[in-house]
Amino acid sequence: MLLFREGSREAFEELFSRHHRAVVRFAWRMTGDPSTAEEAAQEIFLRIARAAPTYQATAKFTTWMYTVARRATLNYLRDTKEDGEKVPILSEGEGEDGVYPVQLPGPDDRNPEQVVWESQLTERFRIALGELPEGHRAAFVLNRGDGLSYEEVAQVLGVTVQAVKTRIFRAREMLLSRLSKDLSA
Amino acid sequence: MSCRDIRETISACVDGEASPGEAASVREHLASCERCRTLERQMRALGDGVRQIPGKVPTRFREAVFARLESEGTLPKRRKAFPTVWRWAAVPLAAAAGLGLFLLTSREAVREPSPPVSVQGTAAALSTEDREMLALFDILEDPADLDENDDAEGMDLLVPGGSVDAPSRPRGGRSGA
Repeated sequence: MLLFREGSREAFEELFSRHHRAVVRFAWRMTGDPSTAEEAAQEIFLRIARAAPTYQATAKFTTWMYTVARRATLNYLRDTKEDGEKVPILSEGEGEDGVYPVQLPGPDDRNPEQVVWESQLTERFRIALGELPEGHRAAFVLNRGDGLSYEEVAQVLGVTVQAVKTRIFRAREMLLSRLSKDLSA
Repeated sequence: MSCRDIRETISACVDGEASPGEAASVREHLASCERCRTLERQMRALGDGVRQIPGKVPTRFREAVFARLESEGTLPKRRKAFPTVWRWAAVPLAAAAGLGLFLLTSREAVREPSPPVSVQGTAAALSTEDREMLALFDILEDPADLDENDDAEGMDLLVPGGSVDAPSRPRGGRSGA
């Protein structure tokens, strides 16, 4: 990024080659739609390039990149509340005992029937993920999808590590609750 | 610790973010709680679910991004493969190479024997008018006709195979005509 700031086109090409897959994936997981994700991903790279003159290497590049990516993606979401704190309250008794009647495939479940079931579940999962509050979805996607630590997720979202821990836990609860309803319906 | 109190720590443990002390508590709890063991497995599976969403890179994504960046002038121009000086030098160098090649092939062609020229055939191909013209040259170049004006010196080169002192044809005739 610093080389690009000094005018090296090759540096930006290298940066693009290294990170474009991650950016597209992040945008796809956050928006849930391929064409919206493409627009968002383009916007992310435009913002990265435009920000080069003022870029300061104070944090890991990827942390800064995901900060830009998350903000750019927000514009493409229907509900653009920055921290979507519209956390649905689970109904009385729901999840209270930590029991969710949903069977999720583990890493060892690889028979053909399981794969078909998995593809259906993936679609349901994508929908459920899209219904999470944006701040919870971002925390969960950044940690589980992109491999950022709680500390890095906290930097990207501008919250405390404890807040990240809670958001990810709440995201899991909501996803399990939603999938349990879908699959028992 | 109750199940409700430990669930958030189980989630952190699944993500590898629990402290050693928290992780020990979770292990101890899971050893005795079937319900939380199931929950722990479900939590792990949800992480796999995120990675199942593909995020395939669209075709021509790179071209689209770079075109937009170039159109707004954010991206520096691509450096030329050859500097300007070398691009200008390329034209004369290519011309010289072409000429050299031509000369080489031409020399090869000259070395090949050329077919014999048939004089008779050439003469036969001449028209009457051409023959008269040649006859006129023949008169002018006859050293015998030039002797009288001492013009014959040096004309031996014009006489095929002979010298002005040894005329090949009898004098007279035409001069007196």
